[in-house]
Amino acid sequence: MQTSRTRRFRLASSALLALTLATTAAACGGGDDDSSGSSADGVTTISVATFNEFGYEGLIDEWNESHDDIKLEQVKVGTWDDAKANLYTKLAAGSGLSDIEAIEGDAMPAILAEEGAFEDLTNDELDGRWLPWVEEKALNGDGQMIGYPTDIGPEGICYRSDLFKKAGLPTDREEVAELMGTWDDYFALGEDFVEKVPDTAWYDSSGGLAQAMLNQVANPFETDDNTVAVENDELQAVWADVTGNIEKGLSTKLPQWSDDWTASFQNDGFATMACPGWMLGVVEGNAEGVKGWDIANVFPGGGGNWGGSFLTVPSQGDNIEEAKEVAAWLTAPEQQVTAFADKGTFPSQVEALESDQVTAATNTFFNDAPTGEILAERAQAVTVQPYKGPKYSDILQAFQAAILRVDDGSQDAAESWDQFVTDVEALG
Amino acid sequence: MTRRPGFLVYGLLTAFVVGSAAPLYWSFLLGSHTKEIAAQGVPPLLPGGHFWSNAERAVATIPFWKAISNSLLVSTVTACSVVFFCTLAGYAFAKLRFRGRGPLLVFVIATMAVPTQLGVVPLFILMSEFGWTGSITSVIIPWLVTAFGVFFMRQYLVDAVPDELIEAARMDGCSQIRIFWHVAAPAARPAAAILWLFTFMQVWTDFFWPLIALPHDNPTVQVALNQLQSGFFKDYSLVLAGTTLATIPLLVLFVLAGRQLVSGIMQGAVKG
Amino acid sequence: MSNSTTSRGGGTQTVSPPREGPRTASGPTGRAPRPEWRRRLTRLDVRLSPYLYISPFFLLFLVIGMFPLAYTAWVSVHDWSLIGGKGEFVGLDNFREVLDNPYFTKQLVNTISIFLISSVPQIVIAVVLAALLDNQLRGRTLWRMSILLPFVVSPVAVAIIFGSLYGDRYGLINELLGHVGIDPIGWHTNRFASHVAVATMVNWRWTGYNALIFLAAMQAVPRELYESAAIDGAGRVRQFISMTLPMIRPTMIFVVITSTIGGLQIFAEPRLFDETNARNGGSDRQFGTITMLIYDFGWQLRDLGRASATAWLLFVVICAFGIANFLLIRRIGSLGGDR
Repeated sequence: MQTSRTRRFRLASSALLALTLATTAAACGGGDDDSSGSSADGVTTISVATFNEFGYEGLIDEWNESHDDIKLEQVKVGTWDDAKANLYTKLAAGSGLSDIEAIEGDAMPAILAEEGAFEDLTNDELDGRWLPWVEEKALNGDGQMIGYPTDIGPEGICYRSDLFKKAGLPTDREEVAELMGTWDDYFALGEDFVEKVPDTAWYDSSGGLAQAMLNQVANPFETDDNTVAVENDELQAVWADVTGNIEKGLSTKLPQWSDDWTASFQNDGFATMACPGWMLGVVEGNAEGVKGWDIANVFPGGGGNWGGSFLTVPSQGDNIEEAKEVAAWLTAPEQQVTAFADKGTFPSQVEALESDQVTAATNTFFNDAPTGEILAERAQAVTVQPYKGPKYSDILQAFQAAILRVDDGSQDAAESWDQFVTDVEALG
Repeated sequence: MTRRPGFLVYGLLTAFVVGSAAPLYWSFLLGSHTKEIAAQGVPPLLPGGHFWSNAERAVATIPFWKAISNSLLVSTVTACSVVFFCTLAGYAFAKLRFRGRGPLLVFVIATMAVPTQLGVVPLFILMSEFGWTGSITSVIIPWLVTAFGVFFMRQYLVDAVPDELIEAARMDGCSQIRIFWHVAAPAARPAAAILWLFTFMQVWTDFFWPLIALPHDNPTVQVALNQLQSGFFKDYSLVLAGTTLATIPLLVLFVLAGRQLVSGIMQGAVKG
Repeated sequence: MSNSTTSRGGGTQTVSPPREGPRTASGPTGRAPRPEWRRRLTRLDVRLSPYLYISPFFLLFLVIGMFPLAYTAWVSVHDWSLIGGKGEFVGLDNFREVLDNPYFTKQLVNTISIFLISSVPQIVIAVVLAALLDNQLRGRTLWRMSILLPFVVSPVAVAIIFGSLYGDRYGLINELLGHVGIDPIGWHTNRFASHVAVATMVNWRWTGYNALIFLAAMQAVPRELYESAAIDGAGRVRQFISMTLPMIRPTMIFVVITSTIGGLQIFAEPRLFDETNARNGGSDRQFGTITMLIYDFGWQLRDLGRASATAWLLFVVICAFGIANFLLIRRIGSLGGDR
């Protein structure tokens, strides 16, 4: 039959096609290049794995132009979530990581707990390069420096001057700064505000507030020897403040980063929020068309930091010494300033904070505020850094979930706290 | 069926198609505006004029064409491989008698019941052992055969290939392979076409394993598109312009495959 | 079909050559006896070819599919940290810890609930849809392929779109409900509502897929059967119920089993639906599924041992449901038709 022959032909040809394609793929599918530095004719390639925006594109070009023996290439993933999954899988498998891996600040404590997986980057020449409280976060239990800090997220308070005006509050950023020196002041001002402007909340989310307050507590979840101790006074004080404010209407009660939270920027959902440098772009994007945003050089409690990353060198790589050299270069003050100019990642290096580019930076969306200067001063004002043991991120997640449960009304504060304690125990 | 379908049929189908296609149109809309509008989530009903400029940016930011060609290669090879091996095995399970046929089939089906998320760690170890990490072989190998494919072809062939036809062929002295080639394979065609299409789509949309197995400069399309999501303020207009652009090859495939399916289905009925 | 035997002339064949399989009603007449070696070859062919046909599949399957399974089983009985690696052998401790976990039961119930709310309507709609498509439609290709469109929409877009639809405060659906005077529904906070929302996401994506599978099976049903039934006076709906459905039983079994397996493993959609940082299924895990728990144990708490144990517990649950559904469908099928 004619048709069966055509059918036969088609089936045969597709099988043949599959075979050819498979062999072709195997033959020229990139060979066996692995991600960590291959050396071909004397040139070592160092791979730098980043996520989000580190602002390294220009820097990498700069290095590649001036170096012949070591070439850099960036391995970029969209979000930390995916980078983390990739990192953990390859740590488990024992191979496949890049020569330099960028790690998000909150995940550092877990990384620091993994003995032998990452190189000791201690280098006396780099003493004093970074702000002391940032450097501390990179030290593991044995005092070894496991990562070089890249950027930080010092926080100021962003606010809607137009809504402030409506409530009869001062709008000039220096005046505002004087009113928010402590958390009590900040909350009192908030209660005043919501009385005068009833449909708008004071701050963007309970979770954001909790994060800001936790970043000023010395031992929120764990003691210095990594014992989990969540029923401490300071944490309960934070809990009381955050949940108490929910009843007072100060919070939008929305989860941060949710769709509703994004929409609330356009709906006059709230009047203030804790703003680290990297948040400025987010506000600008979400609040497009809204006039009146400004940022004040103040942070309740003195100073706060949210975010920041580190460059680490995994021990499974082939080019440890070169990778260390590159990592040190990338995190030098000059380079970080370039990255800041490119993508706004705020430097953690002392010299960089004093550089012209940083101190002169302004932001048009935020009423031409001198954001560089403001954030640099906020960075200097940071005193306490919370101790973060290996379970820090896990307990933080449980804590944030507990707050959300009070936000959305599914539990009252006492119930939610009890469940939080149980959850922490179940972490195991 | 000689009766022409009436308004009710067309009406229901239209409703369903609109529901299926609306999100794709929505994502096109988001990709055609500026990033601030895209961030609001619900776009205006008509496209803005920015689709091509956003798409151009997307193509410039990531190794787009490399990713597309990689994905095309990987999806085609795996789809062909799955259809070939699973039709063979499915036929054996459906029509041939051998010891342990029942338990083996149940075993194969049961393996689908273990979630695959954890498999990436052992799979990566395996690929490293063979030295395939970094090349697209590592994304092809795991998909060469699927339990789904075998189960699907078996169920289809059980009824689609009449026993009488096989018997008649055997009477005529055909060897097993001839029987397969002349009787089973033609009858399997509609299901094979569907399996081919489904495998293609699933491999095309696979993200997690290619993310881990492939290097940055040799990605498949989903991994490449993910790189567009960097930055704290997500530029959704860029991301969605990129993803919408990347669905165009699939849409072309749909048209081609659709024709195959329709004609294949008509020819496939070997009934007596 | 070509015939390779050569007739030797003379002699009637009274006995068919011994072979496996059913005896044929009428033996070959007027043909010479086949040579002995050919008979043996045929027997070998018949006996061995099944194994030959399934071996490529099984060889590949053993390496690619079985190794990860064995590895997961091995890991589940050890204290195994994702980064630190293999610890000591702990027997069933991981399983016990998982069962004692405060969220395990909750997420199991969520999983089953989401599975039922999604799979049952999905299969029904898919069958109906396939029946609609099994017609002489104009522009058949267009109709058939457009139901697959949900499959190619990127997860980013899905998250944005369904997030905008189901926003608790500013979402489209709640806005529309407000217009008709209904109070806003807590799509992310209310447990049942969240299951419905996730189920719609799942159904939107997979119904077309299953419909095409049914369609292929339906198209293999001979048209003459319908014609003769129509002549006998059976209406379209009656034809569908009494003829089409029983004739596509193997496919129905397939769809039910694969939907059971897939439905109890749902992972991507609830994760996309969760807008908190942890993505565990809501502030109180109201829509967290077991596969999400596996991911939580493995990649967030970095405990591969508990993650693997959870995977195998889910396996047991899926097998139980799979068997139950299979028996159910077989019972229903035999009530309707005669196959």
